[in-house]
Amino acid sequence: MKIMICDDSMFVRKKMKDAVIAAAPEAEVVEAFDGQQAVEKYKEEKPDLIFMDIIMPVKNGVEALTEIMAIDKTAKVVMASSVGTQENLKQAILAGAYDFLQKPIENDDVAKIISKAIK
Amino acid sequence: MFTQFFGNYLLRKQLVSPEQLSEALQLQKNTRLKLGVLAINAGLMTADQVERAHDRQQRADKRIGDVMVEMGFLTKDQVEELLKTQPTGHLLLGQTLVDKGYMTNAQFENALKDYKEENSLSDSDINDANEIAAKKLVAGFYKISGGEDSDHAVNYVSLIFKNLIRFIGDDFTPMDPFALSEPIRNVVLQNISGSINMTTLIYAEKTALIAFASRFAKEELSDDGEYTQACVSEFINLHNGLFAVNLSNDTGKELQLEPQNYYETMDVNGLSKACVVPVNYPFGTINFVIAM
Repeated sequence: MKIMICDDSMFVRKKMKDAVIAAAPEAEVVEAFDGQQAVEKYKEEKPDLIFMDIIMPVKNGVEALTEIMAIDKTAKVVMASSVGTQENLKQAILAGAYDFLQKPIENDDVAKIISKAIK
Repeated sequence: MFTQFFGNYLLRKQLVSPEQLSEALQLQKNTRLKLGVLAINAGLMTADQVERAHDRQQRADKRIGDVMVEMGFLTKDQVEELLKTQPTGHLLLGQTLVDKGYMTNAQFENALKDYKEENSLSDSDINDANEIAAKKLVAGFYKISGGEDSDHAVNYVSLIFKNLIRFIGDDFTPMDPFALSEPIRNVVLQNISGSINMTTLIYAEKTALIAFASRFAKEELSDDGEYTQACVSEFINLHNGLFAVNLSNDTGKELQLEPQNYYETMDVNGLSKACVVPVNYPFGTINFVIAM
């Protein structure tokens, strides 16, 4: 299984990668550091699951989610953000997000989402 | 959060030195509460009575609770009730300062009483970790009052302390706020827009910033490179995000957070209305800046 982590923070990418590997040691992890790169890497890599930050430079997470869903409406994109406000949740759901993860990232939550996604 | 503000009060009244306070804040985790401190806190005994009971105990080789009952200061039921008390932060701090010989029981008792009176705090305000009491402490300390912006400021600063306790550690002391006048160094900035427009910053000396980032990341960092900057940036993003979530849940108002930026030096000309909230940790001072 291939999992993409998209976050502009190298700290969050590392912590998220640790959580993904702890839950799914066999997973191949692909990283992107903004929304634009996430869309490009999605086309190349076709990951099975994506963890996507919202607040990012160049292209934010909701814009990237919308573009990825336009490419593949079965894509599983989990929005992972510190800003789980009503509006962001609504936008993420409307744009087709698979799930929403409120930061700080807990390894258990990441593990639950991975096991739900690979069923 | 009461413990941290009470620590600041002890400093301001020069009852302890910054070094003694810092040492006690680190040691308090291993401190066991003694019956005398619990009895003083509950208002059942005075410091003088506790001292007299301790004197008697040293000569009598009995348990302190039994001595206090014999001397008529407490009933057996009261001793049992007190021993069931959950240790709250400020009592552990007080006990540690007394154990180290930095304060006497009487000084601690008086300081606690004066602090409560000066700030109109009830026993439940300081013993319960409730939201309203925390906001009351913050509003009183920073002299924030009146208007919607004030509510936001109180909520914002209260959440800083809550998040510091949650993510960094409770061994800090809030210091007096001040305005920015000179350029600042090692700065992480995040702008917030929407229902409230704010500029938020964290800045600190490099060594303090590295130690702060190490605690947040739960790993030992040794330099102020990109990873350390990313840790501090994530702390401010997490904090601002949680502030936005609370505001959205409580009032339906929405905020947009912008990506964070790191600056080695920053001119503060545009931040004349900014308020600096400094927080002292054993490893150094971390400054939080809010400009609305």
